Amino acid sequence: MTEMTDKPVNHATNEAEARPLPAFAVVARDDASAPFFDAACEGRFVLRSCLSCKQLRAPEIPMCTKCLNESFSWVDAVGTGEIVSWVVLHPKPVAGKVAPMPRVMVTVELTEGPWVLGALLGVESSSIQVGRTVTIDFERPEGSEPIPVFR
Amino acid sequence: MGRIYGKTATAFAREAVQLAVADAGLAMSDIDGLLINSPGDLSLQLQRGLGLRDLKVLAEVQAYGSSAGAMIQYAGLAVEHGMANTVVCVFADAPLKEGVSAGAYSGTRRTYNGFSALGFAAGYGGANPRYAMAARRHMLSYGTTTDQFGAVAVQQRAWAAMNPDAQMREPMSLDDHRASRWIAEPLRLLDCCLVSNGGVAVIVTSADRARTLRQPPAYVLGWGQAHPGIVQERGSRFGEVSGAIESGARAFAMAGLRKDDVDVCQLYDCYTYTVVVSLEDYGFCDKGEGGPFAASGVLGPGGSLPTNTGGGQLSSFYMWGMTPISEGVLQARGTAGERQVDRHDVVLVSGNGGILDHHSTMLLSPHAKVD
Repeated sequence: MTEMTDKPVNHATNEAEARPLPAFAVVARDDASAPFFDAACEGRFVLRSCLSCKQLRAPEIPMCTKCLNESFSWVDAVGTGEIVSWVVLHPKPVAGKVAPMPRVMVTVELTEGPWVLGALLGVESSSIQVGRTVTIDFERPEGSEPIPVFR
Repeated sequence: MGRIYGKTATAFAREAVQLAVADAGLAMSDIDGLLINSPGDLSLQLQRGLGLRDLKVLAEVQAYGSSAGAMIQYAGLAVEHGMANTVVCVFADAPLKEGVSAGAYSGTRRTYNGFSALGFAAGYGGANPRYAMAARRHMLSYGTTTDQFGAVAVQQRAWAAMNPDAQMREPMSLDDHRASRWIAEPLRLLDCCLVSNGGVAVIVTSADRARTLRQPPAYVLGWGQAHPGIVQERGSRFGEVSGAIESGARAFAMAGLRKDDVDVCQLYDCYTYTVVVSLEDYGFCDKGEGGPFAASGVLGPGGSLPTNTGGGQLSSFYMWGMTPISEGVLQARGTAGERQVDRHDVVLVSGNGGILDHHSTMLLSPHAKVD
C-alpha cells in the first residue's frame, strides 16, 4: 500500500475552502466541573493536586491516582505536553452535502503527567508525530463553556 | 440474529431462551436461575415474560463486552455451590431499525454537561474513536500496520463464508479493506464490528446433569476476569495491553492448561485491533508481534491457530460476548458444520468491554478433563 491511498482524494482544488471546519457542540458546566470552567474562562487549564501526596491528576478524576485521597486543590498547568496518540475523525459522507473537514483528536501527556484528550487545531494530520510538543488553548463556541484544544 | 426487524430485545431474549431450553431437551420448569445482559430494553421482567416461577438466582449483569463470560462464570459458581441447578444466561439487543443506517449521523447541535462533554463536543463519542486511539498507540509502540489489522478482517470473512448465520458472507480481500472508508483513522469500516439484532442464550448446569441432556456438553475447564482500571497518565500502557494478560493467566491456572494446549480461539473482536492485542496478551506471540502474527495467515481456515471461526463480530453477528461464546460452544461440541475445525479439545473464548477496561476468559472443551 502506498502513502497515497491513505489520504483523502482531492477532486476539487478548492476543497479546503469548500469543506467547513468541524464545529464544536455546546458544553455546559455541572457542579464538579464549575471550578475548572471558571479557570478556563480566564484562559487557565487547571489540574487537581492531591493535598496529601501532591500528585497531580487530570481535572475530571475525583480521587488521587497515587494515594486515593479525595482532598485536592486546583493548580494551574504549565499548558504544554507531548502527543501520545491521535485519531482522525472522518465525517460520514451524506449524499448531497459537503462534509466538514476531518477532525484530529489527540491524547496528550501534559508536562505534569496526566493525559488529556482534545482536538488538535492548525496541524495537518499527515505531519503529526508521537512526542511532538503541543500547547493548550481554548475554543469558545457561542453559548458554551471554553473547550480545551491543542495547537 | 442480524438484520431482523420489528422485534424488541425482550422478544429476542424470550425466543433465545426457549430455543436453548428446547435444544438441551429441558422444560422451562427445569430452569431455576436467570442471568440477563443487554444494552436494550431487557429487564428482570423477562422472568415473567418467560413464565418462570420460583427462581433461585435472578440478576442483570453488566460488565460490557465481558458480561457474557462473566454471567456464565457466576452461573457456574451458583451451580457449584447448590444455589441453583440450571441457570440460563441470555443476551439480546435490537438497535437496528429498518431503513435507518446503523451509524446514523446526527447533525443536530446538542448540549453536553461537565467533563465528559469535552470529548463529545468535539465529535469524539462512542467506542470507535476510543478504540482508534488505542489502535494508534499500538501502531506507534510496535509498528503495527493498518494492513495487519486488515488481515484479521480478511481471514475472519473467509470463516464467515462457511457460516450460514453470518451477516457478511461475500468474499473480502485486503484491497477491499484498504478501500473501505475511514471511520476513525486508523480504523476503517472493515475494522469495525457489525450491528445486529438478535439474542443468544446459554444454559449452565452441572457436568453430571449436562451429560444426561440432549446435546453434548461444552465443559468449562477454566475461567478468569480482569478489570485493570486503567488510569491515563504518565507510564500508562493504554492501547499496548488488554486485560487478557491477567484474565488469561487466571483461566489457564484454573484449568491446569497452557496456551500451547489451545486448539481454537474465539477472541472478542469489536475491532480488528482487539484481536491483535488479545493474541499478544494470551501469549500466542510476543508483545508487539500481534500484527505480523495475524498477517501471517495463522487465524484463517487452514491456519495453525483457527480464530473466530464463525466470522466473529466483524463478519457474523454482534451479540457482544455471546458471539465468541456461541461459536466456542459449537466448536467444542464439534457441531460447527462446514467450518468445524479438526482439533477442538481446548477452545479459548474471550470477552472484552469498555475501552479495554473489562476482560473475561473461558476455556471450553468437549472433555470433562484435558491433561
